[in-house]
Amino acid sequence: MQFPDIEITERLFLYFGIVAFIIFVLVVFFINRFTVKYRDKGEIPVQSGGNEKFEVGMIIIAVCITTFFLVMTLMGMKSIQTIPDNPKADLNIIGHQWWWEARYTESGVLTANEIHIPVGEKILLGLTSADVIHSWWIPDLGRKLDMIPGMKSYMWLYSEKEGEFLGACSEFCGAQHARMRIRVIVQSREDFEAWEQGQLKEAKFSSDALFNRGKQVFEERTCTNCHSITVNQDSADIGPNLTHFASRKHFLSDMKENNKENLRAWLKDPQQVKSGAKMPNFIFPEEELEALVHYLSNLK
Amino acid sequence: MYLWLALFFFIIGGLEAMVLRAQLALPNNELISPETYNQLFTMHGTTMIFLVLMPALIGLGTYLIPLMIGANEMAFPRLNAFSLWMTFMGGTLLYFSFFAGGGPDAGWFNYAPLSENNYSSSHGVDYYLIGLILTGIGSIGAALNFVTTVLTLRAPDMKLNMLPLFVWMMFINGFLILAAFPLLNAGLFMMLIDRQFDAHFFIPSSGGSAILWQHFFWAFGHPEVYILALPAFGIISEVIPVFSRKPIFGYKFVASSTVAIALLAFGVWVHHMFAVGMSNTVNGFFAASSMLIGIPTGIKVINWIGTMYKGSIRMTVSMMFALAFLIDFTIGGLSGASFAIVPIDWQLTDTYYVVAHIHYVFLGGTAFGIFAGIFYWFPKITGRHLSEKLGKWHLWLFVFGFNMTFLLQHMLGILGMPRRIYTYPDLPYWKILNLISSIGAIFMFVAIGIFLYNIFITLKKPRSAEDNPWEAWTLEWSTPSPPNLKNFEQLPPIHSRRPLWDLNNPDNPDKRLN
Ligand code: HEC
Ligand code: HEM
Ligand SMILES: [Cu+2]
Ligand SMILES: [Cu+2]
Repeated sequence: MQFPDIEITERLFLYFGIVAFIIFVLVVFFINRFTVKYRDKGEIPVQSGGNEKFEVGMIIIAVCITTFFLVMTLMGMKSIQTIPDNPKADLNIIGHQWWWEARYTESGVLTANEIHIPVGEKILLGLTSADVIHSWWIPDLGRKLDMIPGMKSYMWLYSEKEGEFLGACSEFCGAQHARMRIRVIVQSREDFEAWEQGQLKEAKFSSDALFNRGKQVFEERTCTNCHSITVNQDSADIGPNLTHFASRKHFLSDMKENNKENLRAWLKDPQQVKSGAKMPNFIFPEEELEALVHYLSNLK
Repeated sequence: MYLWLALFFFIIGGLEAMVLRAQLALPNNELISPETYNQLFTMHGTTMIFLVLMPALIGLGTYLIPLMIGANEMAFPRLNAFSLWMTFMGGTLLYFSFFAGGGPDAGWFNYAPLSENNYSSSHGVDYYLIGLILTGIGSIGAALNFVTTVLTLRAPDMKLNMLPLFVWMMFINGFLILAAFPLLNAGLFMMLIDRQFDAHFFIPSSGGSAILWQHFFWAFGHPEVYILALPAFGIISEVIPVFSRKPIFGYKFVASSTVAIALLAFGVWVHHMFAVGMSNTVNGFFAASSMLIGIPTGIKVINWIGTMYKGSIRMTVSMMFALAFLIDFTIGGLSGASFAIVPIDWQLTDTYYVVAHIHYVFLGGTAFGIFAGIFYWFPKITGRHLSEKLGKWHLWLFVFGFNMTFLLQHMLGILGMPRRIYTYPDLPYWKILNLISSIGAIFMFVAIGIFLYNIFITLKKPRSAEDNPWEAWTLEWSTPSPPNLKNFEQLPPIHSRRPLWDLNNPDNPDKRLN
C-alpha cells in the first residue's frame, strides 16, 4: 500500500485548487483593472484585433497545465482502482430501495445498513443492486462507485482510523433516496471478530412469554416473506435481515436511532415514518404491537 | 414568440426552484413530500434546459441571424413556425402530466431502470418522453433552418469568415444540434417502447442494459451543454467588443476554438459516467478529452478579457451582465475541469458540488449571457430601451443572490451532501450552508420580479430608440428599431466584419476581407 485513496484524491484536489484559484484571481484582477483603467473617456481607442503570439503562448501554457493534470490523474486512478483479475469480494453490498444489504463472504455474516470492518485492512467490496441504480459513497473512506442491477463492480475499502463513518447513496434512486444513508464502523481486529461471532449465532430463543408471542406474531403476519431471522445464506432478503436487529444502533438506513419508541412508530405506520418505503402498512392491535416491539428489540 | 415562451417557463421553473429551496432551508424539513420534491426537481431541471434556455437561444437566433447577415427572412419560415409549435406542444404535454396522475420523477436525465414501469408507475415519465421528443424535433427543425439560412441567404458580399461571431456560433451550434438531438430522440423512443410495449432495451432484469441509456443520454447530453453555451459565447462576443469600442481580440481564435469545442463535445460524454465503474483505460481516455476541451474554452475567456485591454469601456447593464458572465462562467468552467480529474470526480460527482457547477454554467453562464443579450438587443427588437436603473437593481440583486445561493454549495458537496435529496440530517455546517443558500434564492426571486416589471413598464412607453443606440457595427443596427417587416430595403456596403464601423469611420476602416 502506498497512499490511502483519500490522500491521493486530496492531494489532487489541492493542486487543482491552487491552479484554479490562481486562474480565477487573474481573471477577476484583469477584469477589474481594465474596467477601471479603460473606462470610456469618449475617445476612440486603437482598433487592434489581437495578438497571435500571445494566443499561441497561452495555448502552450494551457497544454502544459493539462498534461500535468492528465499524468497525475492517470497515476491516481491506477493506485486507487487496481482490481485483481477474477476478483473475489470480501464483502458484498447489494443496494435495495432504500437500504443496504451486506454479505460477508468468508464468515457468512448477513446484516444491513451498519457495516463493520477491521481497521487497517484492505477489503475488496463487490457492489450490485437488486432494483435500480444506487451508488456507494463514504466520503472519508474513498471513492464512490455505482451499484448497477445485473452488474458487479469492485472497489477497495480501507481505513487507517477506527471510528464511525457516515455515507449516503449518491445516485438518485426514487422516493427515499435522501434517506438511504449508511454507517461504516471501523474496529480493531479483535472487536471486529467478536462482532462477527455475535452475528453468526443463530437467532435467540427465550422462555419469556411476551418474546414468544412477538415471535408468533412475526411469523403469522407474513413478516417472514421479506425478512429473515436466520443466518442462512439463502434466506429472504426483500427487507433487511433481522436476526440480530437489536445489535444495530440505528435502523432504516441510519434514519432513526434503534429504540423501542422509534421501532413502535415504524411498525405502527411505516409510511408515516419513511413514506414510500417498500414495507406494507399492517394494522396491529395494541397487544401484538407491544409483543413485536419487545421481540425485535431483544434480538441482540 | 420563442422569447415569451422562454420567459413564461422561466417563471414556472423559477417558482419550482423556490419551493425546492424552501424545502431544503432546514434539516429534516417536511414541507413537501419526497414524491413531490422529486417531481419538482425533475420538472425544474427539464423545464430550465428544454423550455427556457433552448427556446431563448433559438428565439434570439431566429430573430437576429437574418438581420445580422443581411437577409430578409429565415430560409424556411414555415419550418420556423413548426419548430416553435413543437416546442410549445412539448412543454404543454410535459406539464399536462401533473393533471394526469403525477409529473415525471426520475430526474432530468431519467436514468433507467428507475424510469421504467416497475419503478415509476405514474404516467409522468411517458409525458417526459413524448414532451422531449417533440421539443427535440422542434430544435432539430430550428437548427436546420439556422444552417441553411447562414449558408444560402447571406448578403452577397459577406463571406463566411466575415460572419458576426454570434452568427458563427449559432451556425456551428446548428451542426451540434443536428448531430446530438437525434441521439436523444432515439433513446427516448426506445424507452417509450419499453414503457408502452414492454420491450427490454434498458431493463437489466430481463436482458436489457441500464448503462446503455446513460450512453445515449450523455452522448446527447454533453453536446447539449455546449449547445446551451455556444450561443451565450456568441452574445458575449458581440457585447464586449461593442461596449469596449474595439473589435474582438483574436477573431480567428474565438471562431476556430468554437469548432474545436463542437468536435470535442462529442468525445467527452463518459465524464458524466466515471462512477459507473468502467475500466481505467476508458475513463483515462475520456479524462484526456475532457481536459482538452477546457483549452479552447479557456482561450475564449482570455480573448474576451483581451478585448477590453486598451478599450474604451461603457458600463451598461448589458456589459455588466457580460462581465458577470465572465467571472461566474470561469468558476463554472473551473469546477467543470475538476471533474476531468477522475479521482476528484469519484468523490464529488452527484453531490451539491455538481449542483453548484451546473448552475454556474447554466445560470451564471448561459442565463447571464441571455440577460446581456436581452439588454443589448431589446431596443432593436421593440424600439424601446429597458430602464438602465431598474436593470442595475436587477443585475446586482441577481448576481449577489446567485453567488450566495450557489457558491457555498461547492462546500456542501465536499462535506458529503448528495444531490437530489429532499431532506438531510443535521450534520455539522449543513444547516447553515443550506439556509444561506435558500436566502440567496430570495434575492434572485426579487431580481426577476424587477426584471419583469422593467419589461412591463418599458413596453408601455412610446418607441424612442434610435437605429444604432450603442454605436455598434453589425448589420442589424442599420435597420430601424424595430426593423420593418422586410428587414432591408438597401444594404450598406460590406467589406469587413464591421460594415457599420466602416460606414461611420470612413477615414479608419477595417481591413478589407473581400
Ligand atoms: C413486503 C416486504 C416486507 C414485509 C412483509 C415486512 N417488511 Fe419490514 N421492511 C421491509 C423493507 C423493504 C424494509 C426496509 C425499509 C427501508 O429502510 O427503506 C423493512 C424494514 C423493517 C425494519 C427495519 C430494519 C432495519 O434494520 O432498518 C423492521 C424492524 C421491520 N421491517 C419489521 C417488519 C415486521 C415486524 C414485519 C411484519 C409485521 C415486516 N417488517 C414486514 C419489507 C417488508
Ligand atoms: C436558467 C436557470 C437554471 C437552470 C438551467 C437550472 C438547471 C438545473 C438542473 C439541470 C438541475 C438538476 C435537476 C436534476 O437533478 O434532475 C437543477 C436543480 C436544482 N436547481 Fe436549478 N436551474 C436554474 C435556476 C435555478 C435557480 C434560480 C434556483 C434557486 C432558486 C435553482 C435551484 C435548484 C435546486 C434547489 C435544484 C435541486 C437540487 C437537487 O435536489 O439536487 N435553480 N437546476
Ligand atoms: Cu440508492
Ligand atoms: Cu439513491
